[in-house]
Amino acid sequence: MNSIVTVISNILAIYRRELQSYFASPLAYGIATIFWLLAGFLLVILVFGPQGILAQSAFADQAGLQSAPLDLPYEFTQFYLGLLGSLAMFILPALSMGLYTEERKQGTLELLATSPIANWAVALGKLLGVVTFFLTMVLPLLVLESLIVGASDPPFDLQLLFLGHAGLILLAASVLSLGMFISSLTESTVLAAILTFALVLVLFVVEGVADGIPGPIGEAIGHLSLLKHYNNFTQGVFDISGLILFLSYVVLGLFLTAQSIEAFRFQRS
Amino acid sequence: MIEVEQLSKAYGSTIAISNVSFKVEPGEILGFLGPNGAGKTTTMRILAGYLPATSGTARIADHEVHLNSMAVRQNIGYLPETPPLYQDMTVEAFLYFVARIKGLPIGDRAKQVTSAIERCNLSEKRNVLIRKLSKGFRQRVGIAQAIVHDPPVIILDEPTVGLDPKQIIDVRNLIKSLAGQHTIILSTHILPEVSMTCDRITIINRGHIVATDTPDNLTARLAGQLGYAIEIAGDQAQARAVLTKLPQVESVKSLSDEGIAKNHHRFQVIAATDEDPGSAIAEAIVDAHLSLYELSRNRVSLEDVFIDLTTEEPAMAATPALTSITETTADTPPSLSDSDE
Repeated sequence: MNSIVTVISNILAIYRRELQSYFASPLAYGIATIFWLLAGFLLVILVFGPQGILAQSAFADQAGLQSAPLDLPYEFTQFYLGLLGSLAMFILPALSMGLYTEERKQGTLELLATSPIANWAVALGKLLGVVTFFLTMVLPLLVLESLIVGASDPPFDLQLLFLGHAGLILLAASVLSLGMFISSLTESTVLAAILTFALVLVLFVVEGVADGIPGPIGEAIGHLSLLKHYNNFTQGVFDISGLILFLSYVVLGLFLTAQSIEAFRFQRS
Repeated sequence: MIEVEQLSKAYGSTIAISNVSFKVEPGEILGFLGPNGAGKTTTMRILAGYLPATSGTARIADHEVHLNSMAVRQNIGYLPETPPLYQDMTVEAFLYFVARIKGLPIGDRAKQVTSAIERCNLSEKRNVLIRKLSKGFRQRVGIAQAIVHDPPVIILDEPTVGLDPKQIIDVRNLIKSLAGQHTIILSTHILPEVSMTCDRITIINRGHIVATDTPDNLTARLAGQLGYAIEIAGDQAQARAVLTKLPQVESVKSLSDEGIAKNHHRFQVIAATDEDPGSAIAEAIVDAHLSLYELSRNRVSLEDVFIDLTTEEPAMAATPALTSITETTADTPPSLSDSDE
């Protein structure tokens, strides 16, 4: 019992420190700013742009297509969250790149490795910290979204919106967990960012590749696609397999990180 | 408290340490002395459980450091070669963080952090970001993180690096004050440090333990061990044989003939007993029909022994400077010199 309490308090200690370092880091604010700018821009384009939903709606009115009203809120949610997911996949490597590379550079890995705290607990604390930071990056966007949701007629399906955002956080957690593993492999922050970005690209296009491969193999590879499962979430389809896939990526990232730190310390040569 | 047996570590084909064995009793301070690259940091890292040994065992508080790593980690405070500091934290926040991951109960944290801050003279820097601290202060924060949870065993890798002379004295006093309740092992390449703070000294060179003894023992053993620097003219082998034969002489060592007249040779002898061998040496040399040009009494300082033990080349530079070194470092105990060519 006591040991469980200790482990939780260890994880919390790492979590708090990680979060604190994000909020003290100009780089993190820079990344957040870019994310907000691009996300806000996307939102505005989607609503007010020449191909935006307002223009579409006006066009539909003019053409007198009243018989088949577009479900604009639904279309908006799907487009907007889809783009937000793509954007996040490019921003996330920048958040995860420093998770372990900084520890190595500052020599603090030696402190963690000689403290009574398990590798996986460190990894979990760090992952929770960076996911929380991403959550705080998404929160301000909710304000923008609420303006549109509030002004919309017909009303938005709030459950759909919630599911979409939950999917976004799960997607982020998967990418961050794998990115954390990559950052544990190297001392170079830049290299970690580039490798994570490459991995994200692979997970991005894996669906397209899988389509070209016939039979069950292609199908199996297709299931690895993050974006495919994320799109299910944004379309309001809550599928357990998607949830399991995201959680598997998270656990895989945690496991590999703990193993790689262990291997780094205990490489017998 | 710390038992190291036949510890070896190889990085690929490079052997960092080989068959290192020593013991540290509870409450004792052991100085781990050696030149840079001798294997000090490797030994410290193995002890702290950061690196595995290639062979051999190390036990801290009866737990094997590799097999029972978690139990060992609960018992140690460790200052690595580079202090492990989060640049973006304040001193106090960092120490709280360390107290948390070391598993200190909530109720004790404030007290322990304050005590560590005070003991390391960091009160004025309490709320300063570590990034903004000078090297000396960072080193002290490094020491503070090693003692904040009051561990039974403290491992300090070069604790006084980067400190100014006053801070060095403070840190030495701090380390001394920790002895008794804590078992401490500290590594350094600075001689006065070990002779001033440590109960026992282990000298390591090229991964091998060269000597282990207490400074007191060394002093006692060597207090009577006078040395003589001798310059003669004549046959070197004959002179050596004559000197070696003397019962009052423990060892004879040839020194470099550089910079002295041709056919002149210099030796450093160490007396075997309390008895001053000066007159016996002079007599023996004259009896052997060798010409005596210099016979000067000296003491071998720890410094010379250290250089001697840890360099491959014979430590020739010793003689001329020896007397002056002896005078200036009267407090440093002379040390063993069983080196013989």
